[in-house]
Amino acid sequence: MTNAVQRVAVYGGGVAAAMAALAVSRAFARLGTDVVWIDTGKEPAPHAALVAPPDLATFHRLLGIDEAALIAGSAATINMGQQFARWSGGDGAFLHAYGDAGSAFASLPFVQHWTRARQAGLGVALEDFCLAAAAAKQGRTGSLRESATQQAVKQGWYLDAAGYARLLRAACERADIRIVSGAGAVVHPNGGRLDRIDLSGGEQLDADLFIDADGALIAALDPDGAAARPGFCDRLIRGSAPAFDPLPLYGRVVAHSAGWLAMVPLADRTAIEFAYDSRLLSDADASGALAATIGRAVDAGSPVALEAAARPRPWVGNVVALGPAAGDAPPLDGGELLLLQLAIAQLVLLWPIDRATMPEANIYNEEIAGTWARVTDFTAQHFRLNARIGEPFWDAARAAPVSPELASKIDLFAARGMFAHFNHEAHVEDSWALVMAGHGVIPRSFDPQALLVEDRALMAEFQRQLRAVASDVHAMETHAEALRRMRG
Amino acid sequence: MGDKFELVIVGGGTAGWMCAAACAAKLDPTRFRVRLVESEEIGTVGVGEATLPQMKDFNDFLGLDEIEFMQATQASFKLGIEFINWGSEGDRYVHPFGTFGRPIGEADFFSYWIRAHRAGTAAPLSDYCFPIVTALQNRFMLPSGDTNDVRNAFAYAYHLDAFLYARYLRSWAEARGIERVEGRIVAVEQDGERGDIAAVKLASGTRVAGDLFVDCSGFRSLLLGGTLGVDLEDWSHWLPCDSAQAVPSVRSEDFTPYTRSTRRKAGWQWRIPLQHRTGNGYVYSSADISDDEAAATLLANLDGEALADPRVLRFKAGKRKQAWAANCIGMGLAGGFLEPLESTSIYLVQMAIMHLLALMPSEPSIDPALPAELNRVMDVEYDRIRDFLILHYIANEADAPLWERVTAIDLPDTLAGKIERFRHRGHVQAYRDGLFGPPSWQAVFVGQGIEPRAADRLADVLPAATVNERLQNLAATIADAAASVPSHADFIARYCPAPAP
Repeated sequence: MTNAVQRVAVYGGGVAAAMAALAVSRAFARLGTDVVWIDTGKEPAPHAALVAPPDLATFHRLLGIDEAALIAGSAATINMGQQFARWSGGDGAFLHAYGDAGSAFASLPFVQHWTRARQAGLGVALEDFCLAAAAAKQGRTGSLRESATQQAVKQGWYLDAAGYARLLRAACERADIRIVSGAGAVVHPNGGRLDRIDLSGGEQLDADLFIDADGALIAALDPDGAAARPGFCDRLIRGSAPAFDPLPLYGRVVAHSAGWLAMVPLADRTAIEFAYDSRLLSDADASGALAATIGRAVDAGSPVALEAAARPRPWVGNVVALGPAAGDAPPLDGGELLLLQLAIAQLVLLWPIDRATMPEANIYNEEIAGTWARVTDFTAQHFRLNARIGEPFWDAARAAPVSPELASKIDLFAARGMFAHFNHEAHVEDSWALVMAGHGVIPRSFDPQALLVEDRALMAEFQRQLRAVASDVHAMETHAEALRRMRG
Repeated sequence: MGDKFELVIVGGGTAGWMCAAACAAKLDPTRFRVRLVESEEIGTVGVGEATLPQMKDFNDFLGLDEIEFMQATQASFKLGIEFINWGSEGDRYVHPFGTFGRPIGEADFFSYWIRAHRAGTAAPLSDYCFPIVTALQNRFMLPSGDTNDVRNAFAYAYHLDAFLYARYLRSWAEARGIERVEGRIVAVEQDGERGDIAAVKLASGTRVAGDLFVDCSGFRSLLLGGTLGVDLEDWSHWLPCDSAQAVPSVRSEDFTPYTRSTRRKAGWQWRIPLQHRTGNGYVYSSADISDDEAAATLLANLDGEALADPRVLRFKAGKRKQAWAANCIGMGLAGGFLEPLESTSIYLVQMAIMHLLALMPSEPSIDPALPAELNRVMDVEYDRIRDFLILHYIANEADAPLWERVTAIDLPDTLAGKIERFRHRGHVQAYRDGLFGPPSWQAVFVGQGIEPRAADRLADVLPAATVNERLQNLAATIADAAASVPSHADFIARYCPAPAP
């Protein structure tokens, strides 16, 4: 491999740079690839917390991050899903849990039978047939050796961002990744590639491949490459409230007349994010609105601008932008860590063969653009499907344009309870079903093959599934027991 | 009866009876009335037909008995397609119904093969594929059922007489309540307002009305293309063959559990072994060879005596712009045509049926999201197959006028760049839906002489000696396993012998 990538420089701070450096080092240091992390010192914002979808738990195994360290170092708690409250007006709520939307029956997805029964007057919500949702609501988690439902129950994490960044940094140090300060670094682009980065101490760092978790490197190569994406809120307040006791297994996203508020349960505090439209709620009034919505004391920071930009071409020349440098992830559903993880995994998968040409950039950019689009769709559905009729913020959110793919998904689910699948889907179809049904979309019709099941047999199956959910929940462990077990 | 949803299938070839059988199996007869209109005056295009493993899923979905089905259709087994002279004169390779290799380390098997192949220490790719090794020895067995056994790592399909399959499904569907209406359609009535098809009128004067029509009328596309005027999206600039001649011959000693496709001057020749005879045909571009010369070429290249005169078929590659327009869905040849180079005809019918069943309207006013989804997914299916067929054409020596032209065409956007990406690092995009996953692309690329210059770097982590040892062991395991498999002819004679016709 005479033209192999031998030297890699990761530029940036916080979670994204550390995770990229660690992943690349663990994959390619064995082949003699040298990884340097130029730490810009940028740390996660005060109060920031992260929602890690279940995929990250798998990725942690590749990174060598264990559960005990997460619990000890980043105040981690188990994430079984997100509850959405007041998105339909009123005080109603639903839970998007990481699990199955009922159990398939008579060779058809459960949603088809559920739709048929709804038309016949059944009043039970789809999520009541979901073991993960029922368990999360009753404070139960873990996997069962013998399950009556046979349903999947997947777990992600809630993480303190600063603690998680420290933990990843310590893992980089253990992996012998050289970490240098990026303060005062000067970037030297040349002919569509990056030549080198001059550090303030005098060292000139040239690398075959630069991974940019900051944004400065990609901006030097492609200054016009970032495009604004429409967002609903322009302000964000982060804060902390006392921890819940007992610790819930799900976070909560509450719709507010001028935006939304997310509560992320951590072991030692509840992290708060309050996003709003400053045209509808002044910064001066925002902290009062926040306290009123939470109903308890909040230690809150000042409002910051909430950005929404994206880079359609995150890999240019020998620079790959990821994390915040690739764009602002959708603000809900764990989009930030999901996209970061998928970007890093894709980069490892497409690790360039020839450092001089890197045609992998085009493949990577196509794959990542597709992934971004689908992950963005998942969050956009909440805004599209909100039913807070008559409130200017929410009326505008409902009317805002969505991608043709999301429009097809919603149309088809509303018509038939089925899923229009595209390439690069990052969320499973049962998650889509739980969220769309949770937002109040009841399919207008169902697959006629469901009619081969007789009414009585269908009712018996529904009762069986509800009993199976109850008995499985009963056999699961509590959140505290699960955390204690994982601490070892 | 007036409350039932009325479904009318027009045309009783393979597509029509497959659709009728699926409706018989999966629609509630108290809510759906299904009728099939066909005329004994109109022949079907049934020739020896090769299929894909999905056909077994379809038969299982209906609940057909495999042995009975194979006996009724003179069927044999199929483990893949052998391509001869594709790439360059004298080359041969098999596109199998299975993957190559098994896991060796962190990278995928193909990456390790590339690495060892570049180092000169690998056997040919086909030696790491149980269905290929087995097929080329004319052996066959059903998958062993043991997931640790290489003799389980494959799927299989059938060669069958499509005419007999339609006849078999007809009796199966009629026994389950599907009404067959005999008659030639002389007129189609449309609903004034939306242009929906209201009824078809038969020569006898009988009027067959319906809420939804399935057009299985063949190339004519009587309702979809004819009445509703849905045009064919013409793909003949990419796939220029427009004619075929088909002829059966006496079954030969060489009873292959695979289809054979041999590249010729103006197209390619198929060979499909059935129990009672061998199906043959020459697919060609009429601009490059006369019908007479094509027939002579075909007859000169049979491995058994011809049982009839060659029959000529004309077609054009393409797909109707919408598979579902108004209240009519086109299936089979009425919906589009792609030459049988990868045995996709029945698969496309099957996909249209499965999607239609799931998206079947529940009332005469059709929710527009339903046809939108069927059209979207059928477009995906057609586009994927089209690109894979074009790949076979473009990766060839320009050794005749047809091959000079096709190797120089402008590619569809969806195919452009794929060859360079494969050459660079063996890259194949994995799709979620649609036919032809990475192993199929790998088989055709490598088989037609397009070889990667490098592999996934993760394949470099294991020491070369370890990789070589694992490759050798795997090839030896496969060779030994294949030697234990009975001959295809013996297996069929024991498992599902069909009566002489």
